[in-house]
Amino acid sequence: MIDKLQACVASSEKLGAQFVEARYDNLTLRTLNRTNDVWKDIILRSRAGVGITCYHDGVSGYSFTASTAKRDLDEAAKRAFKMAKAAAPAASLKLDFDQRPAIKSKASDTFRVKIHPRTKDLEYKTELVNRALEAARETGKEIQTVMTWYGELFGQKLFTNSDGATLDWEFLVIDLYCRVTSKTKSGDLVNGVERAGGCRGMELFSTKGSTPEDVGRATGANATEQLKAKACPAGEFRALVENRLAGVLAHESFGHLSEADFIVIGMSPITGKIGERLGTEHTTIIDEGKPDIAKYGGLWIPYDDQGTPASETVVLDKGILKQYLHSRGTAKHLKAEPSGNCRAVHYAFVPIPRMTNTYFRPGDLTEEEALENLGTGVYAIQTAGGQVEGDGSFLFKAIRGYWVEKGEIQHPLREVSLSGNILQFLNKVEGCTKDLLLTGGYFGGCGKDGQYPLPCGLGGPKMVVRDVRFGGKA
Amino acid sequence: MEYEKIKDTLLAEVDSGLKFARSLDSAAEFEIYLLYRHRSSVDISQGKVKANDGIVAGTAVRVAKDQCVSFSSSSGISVDRIKLSVREAVSSLKAVSVKDERFQGFLDPKRQGREGAFATEILGISTEDLVSAAKQLAEDARSAGEKIMAQAECGVDWGGFAIGNSRGVQRASTSADNFCQVYAMARKGDERRGAYTYDVTRERVFNIEGLGEQATKEAVSLLGAKKLDVTAEMPTLWIPKAATSYILASLAQSASGRAVVEGVSPIAERLGDKIADSGFTVLDDGQNPASLGTQAVDHEGHPQGKTPIIQKGKLKSFLFDSYYSRVYETDSTGNCSRGGGPFGATLPFESSPGITPTSLEVVQGSKSQEELISSIDGKAVMIVDMPAGIFHSDVATGEFSAVATCVFLIEDGEKRGAIQPVSVSGSFYKGFEQLREVGSDIERTPWGVTIPSLVFDGFTIVG
Repeated sequence: MIDKLQACVASSEKLGAQFVEARYDNLTLRTLNRTNDVWKDIILRSRAGVGITCYHDGVSGYSFTASTAKRDLDEAAKRAFKMAKAAAPAASLKLDFDQRPAIKSKASDTFRVKIHPRTKDLEYKTELVNRALEAARETGKEIQTVMTWYGELFGQKLFTNSDGATLDWEFLVIDLYCRVTSKTKSGDLVNGVERAGGCRGMELFSTKGSTPEDVGRATGANATEQLKAKACPAGEFRALVENRLAGVLAHESFGHLSEADFIVIGMSPITGKIGERLGTEHTTIIDEGKPDIAKYGGLWIPYDDQGTPASETVVLDKGILKQYLHSRGTAKHLKAEPSGNCRAVHYAFVPIPRMTNTYFRPGDLTEEEALENLGTGVYAIQTAGGQVEGDGSFLFKAIRGYWVEKGEIQHPLREVSLSGNILQFLNKVEGCTKDLLLTGGYFGGCGKDGQYPLPCGLGGPKMVVRDVRFGGKA
Repeated sequence: MEYEKIKDTLLAEVDSGLKFARSLDSAAEFEIYLLYRHRSSVDISQGKVKANDGIVAGTAVRVAKDQCVSFSSSSGISVDRIKLSVREAVSSLKAVSVKDERFQGFLDPKRQGREGAFATEILGISTEDLVSAAKQLAEDARSAGEKIMAQAECGVDWGGFAIGNSRGVQRASTSADNFCQVYAMARKGDERRGAYTYDVTRERVFNIEGLGEQATKEAVSLLGAKKLDVTAEMPTLWIPKAATSYILASLAQSASGRAVVEGVSPIAERLGDKIADSGFTVLDDGQNPASLGTQAVDHEGHPQGKTPIIQKGKLKSFLFDSYYSRVYETDSTGNCSRGGGPFGATLPFESSPGITPTSLEVVQGSKSQEELISSIDGKAVMIVDMPAGIFHSDVATGEFSAVATCVFLIEDGEKRGAIQPVSVSGSFYKGFEQLREVGSDIERTPWGVTIPSLVFDGFTIVG
């Protein structure tokens, strides 16, 4: 297939393209879902396609096709060049970049696991779902619904370009996700959620804390606890933000603002603020394509979809803005180095600056010390996602939490939402715990410019923050 | 593939795919779905141009035998890719025997519904047209104010799908639409406020006139926002764009037959009950020619229909596909979708059949937006855009908490200035019960909802 991609590059150059990138994804995606006693989904997806980017006068044109027939590839190459050529006169901001030495991938670029999901049959995977679901449903009589999913995504990613790069590596992510809905005595429905996954082999599900039984029991316990949970009071309180929620804050609220496509057009509120203090000394945010997965978790992304090798980008260093997340074009424009962040969800999308694994660097507190520092406020745990606006306004959902007084947990809270402006939030971080946890899975993912869901890793330590706005009951 | 040939071409391929499938297992039931869509768009952001053009094409196959069902999809609609999907689905079915006791077979043949409106001019829109319109739109926004940043996008999407199964369903549907949208960001010191306008239609070629200026005007009006500095329950006025998000995050989820049958819809057991103010009526109309979601058939071949969900406050019906309608012992409402909904998937063929509304329509009330504002005593909040985080609400609990970033204060019946982002939270369903007014300012939004402004009591505002 790489020779077909190289032919696309050559034919586009012949048309007049100044630089060409061609990539081929051949991915397998499997989703299994059982809801109570019913198997809802036994799904297998074969996602293969070619994406071609042609650059002309600092402007890109993108086309794609699911076909690998020469005629269709030629047509896609023509369309990509035609789009670039037609769009170039309208562009006042050109994102040219320099040619670089050709990069070749190595066998070690593919993350190796002990038991690859492709080596396990379907029955083995349905049994994982069964085990988690049965363990969850044994945790309470109030349970209304147990839904359990297994997901896996793996396969080959090929890339070449006008530099002569030749990349061939495999992506991998697995996920076991459980959700319990229980009914309170007053008839309200409450949820519990847990999951295990990431760029891991199937051996993960034999590891303590990540077995299907562990996942199911923990989910059920979370739902059971929610039965007696109270609504979060509305207002501003001190907060202890748990690792997974800290990851969403790093990703959604700050990571997106540091993506350089927003920077070059001036729409990010952190445009032109390199070197400025944006947070307290406890706030260091890193984006990294190849984290220590065995130790912390996360995803393995050795190259982006523009062929740039992964790097460790310190975006915010002890509160000082250091770098943005770049494509080749934005890096050249802002006199920086490409950071390996130009990614696409799949072949039908043009690569754009995105995150890989984004996290807050840990601090030196224990959890007990963090609770003590919190004093009175909300301990917000797990995440149901979040959203950030162009001005830095954000909202994040914690699936559950606790009301804490004088460092002691008082009672559980139902789903809580945290909101505010990220640039103010970062200046309110008072400390971080020493534990780092990265998560990333098959279910969910990052959305930007209609590209959803892109698998991303995220995480951090637990963080003590003052004056956080909580939505709740007045 | 030419637009006129899509139906026949895809139906022929579905037919040959079904023949191949039967040759593998004559005792199994098969369903084959093929999708072909051409998508083209140009985005201009502060002079940076992105231009995309490609073909989304894919195959989805379901196989059922002895109440075991499997699903396989593959990108591409070539004979090889269709055969691959069939083989994979058969292979999955053989590999594991997990019964779905509720499964009663694929859809039986039904009549064909009516296609939506279609302006042939849409097919003639060129790359140059899109570039020119996006450039003008961005320029219109920029020149309508000082220190304005603008992002404009124009695009065309046309194509169709075909569906066939072993029970004799053989249906196809085509559609075309086009859109333009512009986002303007106004700046004053460190303050940045944004607003967007759009024109999304299938009845004609999009019209950019006035959109840039309007977006800029709205963005500028949000500058100088003051802090509300209040934590209290107060009335909220949701203008059509914001009200759209309220309906999509609540009823579009909980009225789904899937949520009802699976026990995660808070309104599952309330059919016939009064669950909203009597001034509130909402229906799903998949046969309104002007609606973007209108197709002759849904994604399993059932004609799209018109379903009342809430009528004068009473819960009348849920939305169903054939699977959940049979479990619920009712008829399908023609709401089977694949990767559907207002923010639909890019590769819809990869999604197994689900249930989504086609076109939600809230019946308008009698008061204009100005009259709604003047009818409010004391303080209230006017929400003019989709609050951030509203789609992260949980269907089961019905509770929501979101941040409204484009907000105005209403005080003693008058619209005051913009206020800084506020958190708004409460229960969607208590909200319907506490719905105070339904406006007459009805608007068709790009997310498949036709809706006027809504005024609710009882939500908590933290500002």
